[in-house]
Amino acid sequence: MQAPKHLSYKEKLEQATKEAKATVVALVAVIAVWILLGFGLAGSDITLFHTPIWVLGGTVGTWIFTIAVCVFLAKKVFMDFDLDEEEVDDAR
Amino acid sequence: MHASIAGLAPVIIFLVFALVLAVWARRKAAAAGDGGFVKEYFIGNRSLGAFVLAMTTIATYGSVSSFVGGPGQAWNIGWGWVYMAGVQVTCLFLLYGIMGKKMALISRKTGAVTVIDVIRERYQSNAVATIAALVIVLFFATTMIAQFVGGAKLFEYVTGYSYTLGLAIFGIAVILFTSIGGFRGVAVTDALCGIAMIVGICVLAGGILSAGGGYENIMDTIATNHPEMMEPLSGGNMPIGLYFTQWLLVGIFTFALPQSLVRTMGFKDTKSLHSAMIWGTVIIGAMMIGVTALGVLSAGVLTEPLDAYGGSVDNIIPQTIVVTLGSISPWLAGIAIVGPIAASISTVSSLLIASSSAIIKDLWLHHTEAKGETLGDRKIATASQAITLIIGAIVFVLSIVPPDVIWKINMFAFGGLETAFCWTFVGALFWKRANKTGALWGMVLGVAAYCICMALGFKIFGLHQITIGLTVALIGFIVGSLAGKPSDSKKLAIFFG
Repeated sequence: MQAPKHLSYKEKLEQATKEAKATVVALVAVIAVWILLGFGLAGSDITLFHTPIWVLGGTVGTWIFTIAVCVFLAKKVFMDFDLDEEEVDDAR
Repeated sequence: MHASIAGLAPVIIFLVFALVLAVWARRKAAAAGDGGFVKEYFIGNRSLGAFVLAMTTIATYGSVSSFVGGPGQAWNIGWGWVYMAGVQVTCLFLLYGIMGKKMALISRKTGAVTVIDVIRERYQSNAVATIAALVIVLFFATTMIAQFVGGAKLFEYVTGYSYTLGLAIFGIAVILFTSIGGFRGVAVTDALCGIAMIVGICVLAGGILSAGGGYENIMDTIATNHPEMMEPLSGGNMPIGLYFTQWLLVGIFTFALPQSLVRTMGFKDTKSLHSAMIWGTVIIGAMMIGVTALGVLSAGVLTEPLDAYGGSVDNIIPQTIVVTLGSISPWLAGIAIVGPIAASISTVSSLLIASSSAIIKDLWLHHTEAKGETLGDRKIATASQAITLIIGAIVFVLSIVPPDVIWKINMFAFGGLETAFCWTFVGALFWKRANKTGALWGMVLGVAAYCICMALGFKIFGLHQITIGLTVALIGFIVGSLAGKPSDSKKLAIFFG
């Protein structure tokens, strides 16, 4: 298991802000996918299990995409650091 | 439906189990014994792991409205309502991703145990903190009434016992286990409620699919009877404006709901937050899309006009449970209603503990500390539990005469809370120029505009009044912040480094 990174309090706040910005970008991507897979497919006659493709795309498709976004954020963007490290912070 | 003890038994078993869990949480907290009463009772000593964090956030967010009102609307509107409900998959990652770590860091640094502690620390204003506490108590009480009413109506419809008995049974249970268990007890019982919700959805899904002759048969019935239900705009019943405002109300701005935000002050480490974000999104998607889809599918079973089911969409899910499961086994019907009742009590318990913290921690304790008095843990403990009991009792009494259309009451409270807290928190955490003047103007003007427009039914471009509330609050917040004196730079260092 990877140990949490040692950052100063200021660095932790900056990292948290960076992660918040990445989350907003991810939200824009989710909204775009929601529109594309829902409204975007609404004109199609394709059905799966007697269900219009826009229903599956707009609901399950968006959900799966959002899960993928969360995995990406958690693994590639978000950083693991200690939340209770005040003594170390103060000493730096 | 005739009153049946078999239908009642699963609900009773569930509530007793929840009560036992709350007592266990209380004993565990007492055994740990560090951090003092206030930190333990109101924030569970910041010890939530990934599973409990995800489940308590979902269970707090997912209410009886998600299980009864929303699916009832889906029965009426069709797949467009499910498409709209799907936006709720963003709730957890927005909350954890935008607010999670900053709230965790700042609350640890300042010793904050409530969201208002954070507001007070950032804006250095008793007026802002007091108004925030009052807004929380007001809108939380409204939401709690909707939960009690929804749960009790469902209980009456499905078990055949009276509305008042249902209200008494789970009302008393939830007030008791919240008073006893505090935040930790609420979080643990929320996890249990989350599991019960999933079980309830699965049982009801089995009942609907069985009664409707299978999924494809149900879809064919709906397409034949109501072809518009297969379209995203539902033949005009689901306008684009509704999609837009629902994105704001139940999607984007849910990260500012104080009952959700307080959970970001209670998790134990960043790993827990990351895992909760992933698994929470898996679970909330399955739950919200799943339960709303069941509303549409029930249109393949309940094929009469709405008047045949009492003229209210709130009756659709209870009627579906009775028709699809009650005829097979009252036990199964009892298990199915545990889901929505769990949704109801998990929301009530979270709001109850947050309301109690607003009164005890944010108003009373702050007032006594300002006077230089120090209160002992024992006195605080007694007062906290007494206030939790009293608020619960008031809400309980107000629920005895039920209002109509639960999801609208719920949405009203959501909109009010988002209007009050969205810019206040975004500014607090991400805009150095934000100050107490901006917070005060934004909160007061936004909430006033929202409530007045709701009362008058006034809308712009047919959009929900949340758009007016948020816009007025944003303007007030920015103008006030630019006009007011900048915040103290030493205090800003806590929030920005």
